[in-house]
This record gives sequence, structure tokens and C-alpha cells, in this order.
Amino acid sequence: MTVERTGEQVHQGRYDAVIVGAGWSGSLLAKNLSERGWTVLLLEAGEGGTQTWDGYLESVATFRSAVAKVPNSAYHRNVLAPSPDVLDLSPRPSTGNGTPPYTAHGYFVQNGAHPYRTDYVRALGGAGMHWLGAVPRMHPEDFATKTRFGYGRDWPITAADLQPFYAAAERELGVAGNTKEQRELGVITDHDYVYPMHEVPTSHIDEHCRKIDGATITDGMGVERELRVTGLPQARNSTPNPGYDSKKGYRPKGAVGLPNYGERCVGNASCVPICPVQAKSSPLRLQHASNDKVTLATRSVVTRVLSARGKRVDGVEYRTYTGSGTKAKAGAHHRVKADIVILAGHAIENARLLLHSGLANSSTQVGKNLMDHPTTLAWALADSQVGPYRGPGHTSGWEEFRFGKGREKRSPFRIEISNWGWSWSTGAPMSNVAQALGVGGGKNGRVKDEGLFGPELRWALGDTIGRQLQLQIAVEQPADPRNRVTIAPDRTDAMGNPRPIITYDLHDHVRKGVYAAYIASKGIFKELGAKEMTDHRPVDGVPPLGHFLYDGTDLTYQGAGHGAGTHIMGERPEDSVVDSYQKTHDHPNLYAVGCGSMPSIGTSNPTLTMAALALRSAERIHQDLLALRRKATVGAGLKAAKEKP
Amino acid sequence: MASIPADVQKFIEQCVALTGFCEFDLHATGMGQTYLETARDQVGSARFEEFLKTLAQREGTLVKPKDLDSTDREIARAVVYLWYTGAWPRLAETAHTELRPNETNTEFVVSAGSYVEGLVWHTFNGHPVGARPPGFGTWSVRPAEPPSICQITKECGLSQKHEEGHSDGVEAAVLARLRHPGPLTARHVPPSVVPAARAPRQEGDPR
Repeated sequence: MTVERTGEQVHQGRYDAVIVGAGWSGSLLAKNLSERGWTVLLLEAGEGGTQTWDGYLESVATFRSAVAKVPNSAYHRNVLAPSPDVLDLSPRPSTGNGTPPYTAHGYFVQNGAHPYRTDYVRALGGAGMHWLGAVPRMHPEDFATKTRFGYGRDWPITAADLQPFYAAAERELGVAGNTKEQRELGVITDHDYVYPMHEVPTSHIDEHCRKIDGATITDGMGVERELRVTGLPQARNSTPNPGYDSKKGYRPKGAVGLPNYGERCVGNASCVPICPVQAKSSPLRLQHASNDKVTLATRSVVTRVLSARGKRVDGVEYRTYTGSGTKAKAGAHHRVKADIVILAGHAIENARLLLHSGLANSSTQVGKNLMDHPTTLAWALADSQVGPYRGPGHTSGWEEFRFGKGREKRSPFRIEISNWGWSWSTGAPMSNVAQALGVGGGKNGRVKDEGLFGPELRWALGDTIGRQLQLQIAVEQPADPRNRVTIAPDRTDAMGNPRPIITYDLHDHVRKGVYAAYIASKGIFKELGAKEMTDHRPVDGVPPLGHFLYDGTDLTYQGAGHGAGTHIMGERPEDSVVDSYQKTHDHPNLYAVGCGSMPSIGTSNPTLTMAALALRSAERIHQDLLALRRKATVGAGLKAAKEKP
Repeated sequence: MASIPADVQKFIEQCVALTGFCEFDLHATGMGQTYLETARDQVGSARFEEFLKTLAQREGTLVKPKDLDSTDREIARAVVYLWYTGAWPRLAETAHTELRPNETNTEFVVSAGSYVEGLVWHTFNGHPVGARPPGFGTWSVRPAEPPSICQITKECGLSQKHEEGHSDGVEAAVLARLRHPGPLTARHVPPSVVPAARAPRQEGDPR
């Protein structure tokens, strides 16, 4: 098991590798490298606590008490390791003098034409705590959009290169999925492969949508597709597949801190922000399963990477704090040394650290190419009860608009069929109660005359909430250097570290994709006989957050939490930050891992691809460390080498 | 019933007609005392007593918004919102100014437990999101139809003098009066502040 120490205790330590950030990438690398015999220090800026069952239950209670049940609502705000929050943004009426249509408070400084609507959380496990658990692989054509469709950037590796690492990542994360469907989509190419677990059962809503299988829908850019509902691979405990791993089978891993619990999803329907039974996979599991060569220190905010002689780096400097939340108190500065330094923070955190350290930026690409999956919502009232607010966030989608011809015209998109009613689009079902009652007064502040009480209220809510359909349509955003993260000396957080300054917009290809998706959603609702309720128009003259007009049509986008691109991968040091192993071109022992390395993210939730990349990097880091040891052996003689642990 | 304080018992009896849930269901939430205290705290004890007195005149019958003066109407709505969601809502400005001008007028969840006890989930035979999980694979099951207005009224033991006629016609009329929530224009907007849904834009509408 991972050894837990305070930041003070590990001060002046020396490790084979130091990893900054105990999220998915960091935890995967720590486990993998320690299994190969290397000593690893995992430094986490945020607080721990969730690795104990009592601490975890506290987060569940925090979520239940929150008015806005947003992705970070299970975690309190920490002033010394601040996180961006979707609650930080507000729309603002246009003043006509070029001010952006939003205001941003909180951790991010935002100065783009439109807001970057994505958050992450700096806590043990990182965004791997509040993620949904959707793990579709990327499609072969996603890796070469520049060559094939003339937009974005190509990867220096292919989907074929990643297949074994995808499979390894699916074992580590614990994936349930329908292998046959994914093979038909073209994302799994190994004929013998099966997922560790059978697919998570699809929802009654999916069944409702399946009745239009075979219908032809045309999107807003004239791309036509025949629909077929397809299940979503998920890192969520389902029924183990006895045929997995040459019939060795798979044993699901459950909750950390409570044995024999969480080994199967029980339908809490709150994967984002928190699974109360931990049937949803999280980095805590990997930390728990790691051996004692991994040391973990939370409340340790890395402030910079330390340079050594030549191009090498030497370790990191970090600062500890005590207490928590708004009462956290900054402590002393510390240093640790390591042969390999691995930045495994969020894409934006990695960029911020590299920029602040003045490292790895000979290409000037650090911080640039910031991506997300701008997500447009569409919602409607079905013609019968569909059973919303049950099961995982989404269990199926329409994949047809993700691939193939049409990508040259507009960004592709993946249509998620939501199992959670209109919660994201309208604040339902609580907002249904408020509207049905008429509470809150009219625009004039007066008490409303109309509203329902008693049996009428209960019936009307049951009838209509039970018919809520919502589509979440994630649109690919290609790498674009104009979308970027920078830092400035006068923009710092309470500990004195630079805050990310975000410059963001949706450029033409994406906007076309959002419009195309919106029109496709209209066609789908029509086929389903559902009453469309989608509304992206300004309210009382104020455009909603993420609003833009496409050809006179009001549209909005949300953030998907899929930050990527900020230390982009490529073959050439002139125009990329890391190589295909996520090693920085400029420094032979500095790695920057995570979604920040991705040259494109297709229409797949990026965690699985990120995990596959981390495992691919682990092999290379292992080789690097072996080479360093060989060198040390030659230089210092066999005796010295033997004394090494 | 000795274990239930008289004021809580009375409060729950009076909430049946407002909520459309029977006494047993309201008791079963375990929230009666907490909600009574929350309402007293938000509205002022004396003012809330006055409200309950007014409501007592209508006991056992259905309540319509026009039966109550405007501030009582808003108090009634807030109490129902509390039962349905576990949260106290933002009130109409005029009502808030009259009741608690020195307190902030903002939605809050009473407790982690009250959220779990929200009645809204029962209306469509669901479960509170993030609690009371119904079990592996239950999301595949066809949902049951919610009970009709007639059934609910009967279950609550309420007289139906205002609700004669065919239930289909009644239900269509209720749906015509029902307001749906509109778009959440920012993620921090509390549910009780979300605007009402609007009619879809038609060709030729002004921008």
C-alpha cells in the first residue's frame, strides 16, 4: 500500500521519480513504476481524506447539502490550492464596447471572447474523483484529422500503436463495455479482446430511443446519418466477464476504506460529482493497490521544477500548508530530488508550472492549443414516462456523427443520451418544483397569482419530470494556438503562485459543429415524437453563458471538463512540447503527462486515452531509469551501484 | 403518537393539502420538526403561527393560490418547496421584504438529510439522486405511471368539491397551467431562480 507522509517529512528526500499530481495519470505511473521496483514520490497539492471511508462519506454529505450540484460540489474550496469551478462564471449583458459577455471570479483569470467553462479539482484523486467514468476509445481517424480532413493537428502515433495500452488501461481502470459494438465502431481492432466486465445495463431511456433505430437524420451542415443507439464503455463496476484475459476473468475492485463494498453499480445516479459506493473507478483504488515504494504527500503545492546542469532537471520545490478549505495556512518551502520529474497535474496546471519554471518552452507552444469538448444541450418532453434520474449519467449514445465524411466541413460530435433528465440544462427537478409552485415572484418582485398546490402539483410534476429527455452533444474542438493559458506576475493566488490566465473562444469549425448538432437534435426529437424544449435565447436581454449566434440561430455551449492540448505532443521540437512518450523535447528527464499532451481529442471522453498514454510513458520512463542506473554503474563502479536501494 | 410533538403533528396535518402527500408519507421523511423550525426561523414564529391559523380554516380541502393572500401564498409555496426538495427557496421580493428584510433572500439546503428526503423524487417514482440507490440494473426497468390526481386526492383524504368531471380533462387543464423550468443561464443559479420555459421561437419572431 502507498505510504502516506506529510510534505515536511519528505523534505530533502531523493526518489527515482517524483510525480506532481495524484490524479489518474500520476497514480497510474506511480503504481506502474513502483511495480518495476522504482521509488516514487507522489506530491498532491490538494487535501486528502477521501481515502478513508469516513472522509469519503463527508464528501458525499457535502454534495447532498449543496444547492448547485456541480462537479466540484462534493469538495470544499481550498484557498491555498484553489480549483476552478463552473460556479465562478456569470453572464453579462453586452455593453457594445467589446467587453466579453461574461464575468469570471475565482481561480481562473479569463480574458477570451468566450468563457472556458471547464473545471477540475485539486484534491487527492484530482478530476478522477468527479468524472463520469465514460471511457470510449478514440477512433483511428481521430489521430490524423489534419491529413484526412484538413483541420487540427495529427498525432505522431496511431490508434494501432495505442491498442495494447488501451487494453492495459481498461484493466487498470476496470472497464465494462460491449466489445462487439465497439469493434463495429472501429475503435477496438484486436479480434480476441473483450472488456474486463460486461456492459453496464442500458437504461429505459436508451430503450425509448432505440425505437428510432434506422431513422435517417440530417445535421445542420447537410451530413446525413442513419441512427443506431450504441452502449457506452464505462469505468464502473458491472458483471465481470469470465472470458476476459484468456478466460482468467476479472475481479472488480470496490471501495477504498470499506472492504467488499462498491463492487457493483447500484444506481445512485450521481456519478458526477460522487459515487456514494465507489462503484465508479477512481485513482484512490490505484493508490490503495500500489506497493510501499510509493510515498504520497498531500497538501504539498509544487511551486516550480528545479533545473540542474545542462538540460536536466533536478527535482521540484513545493510548499506545504496546514488546515483545510478557507482556513488553510501556508507553511514552509521544501525541495525533493529525483532522477525523473513527471508533471501529472491537470493540462492547465502542467502548463502553468512549466511556464512558471521557465522550462520546456523552446517551441513557444506551452499553454497553447487549449481544448475542451464544447457541449451543447438539447432537451424535450417525451410522449411517455421514460424513467429519468436513474442509473449512470449516460449509458448509450448516437455515435454516427463522430466519424467519416463531413468532418472536413464541421467538427464531429457525439450525442450522449442523458439518463438524468433536464438537470444540466434547467436545474431540474428542483426547478420544476419552483416553477410549478410559482415561488420566487415575477419580474416585478411580486408574488405570483398562478401556481399549483396539493394533488395537482404532485401529479403534474410526476407526469412531466418523468418524461424529461436530454441530449448532451460533445463537439470536437481542434488544437488552435489562439486558445491558451498564460501567467502574469501580478495575477497570483493566496500562496503567491501564478493563476492560470485563460484566453478562449470557439472558432469556426467548432461553431459549425455545434450548429450541426443542434439541428440533428431537432430531427431526433421529431422522430421520437417528443416536444422540443431546447432554448438558447437570451433571457431578459442577457445571453446565457456560452451563447453565440450561428447564422442567426441562438446556440450555447457548456464545458465538458476535458481540458487538453497545453503541452502538445509532436515529432518536431520546433512546434511541440513533448514527444510521443510525453517526454519534453527540451529536457531529457522531464515528462509532462496527461490530456495536455494530446494533439486532438476526437469526440471521446479523454481519460482512457490519457491513461493509455501514461502506461506507454511508464515503459519509457522505466527504460530511462535503467539507462541512468547503467550510467551510474559505469561511472561510480559496481560497489556504489549495489548500495542503491 | 405521544412521541410526536403536538405542533409538529398539527403542522404535518396541515401540509397534506399543500403537498398532495398523505400524513404517513410526510411523517416518514422524519423532517417534520426540522421543517417547522426552518419555516419559523425564516418567516418569524408569530407570523408563521398566523399563517398556520389561516390555513386551518381550510383544513381537509384543496388549496388554491387565490385562497390565500399574497404573502401567505408565498409562505405556503416555500413550505411546499421545502417538503419537495429539502431546501428553502428564494422568495418573491415583496414577500421577503415584508417577512425578513434583514436576512439574505437566497436558496439553501437545510441539511444533507433533508435533501435525501425530498418528495419530488416520489412524484415520478424515482429516488433522490446520490442516495437510496434502487440496485444494479434497475434503470433498465420500465417506470411506473404516477398516480392520477383523483387517486392522490383520495389517498390524502381530501374533499374533491372543486374537482368534478373526467380526470383526463382535469389533467389536461392542469398541464395547460403548469410552468416548466427554462434554461439554466449560469451554473450558480439556484433552482428557485431559474426562469420559466418560453414558447419556442416561431418564424418571423423579433430577435
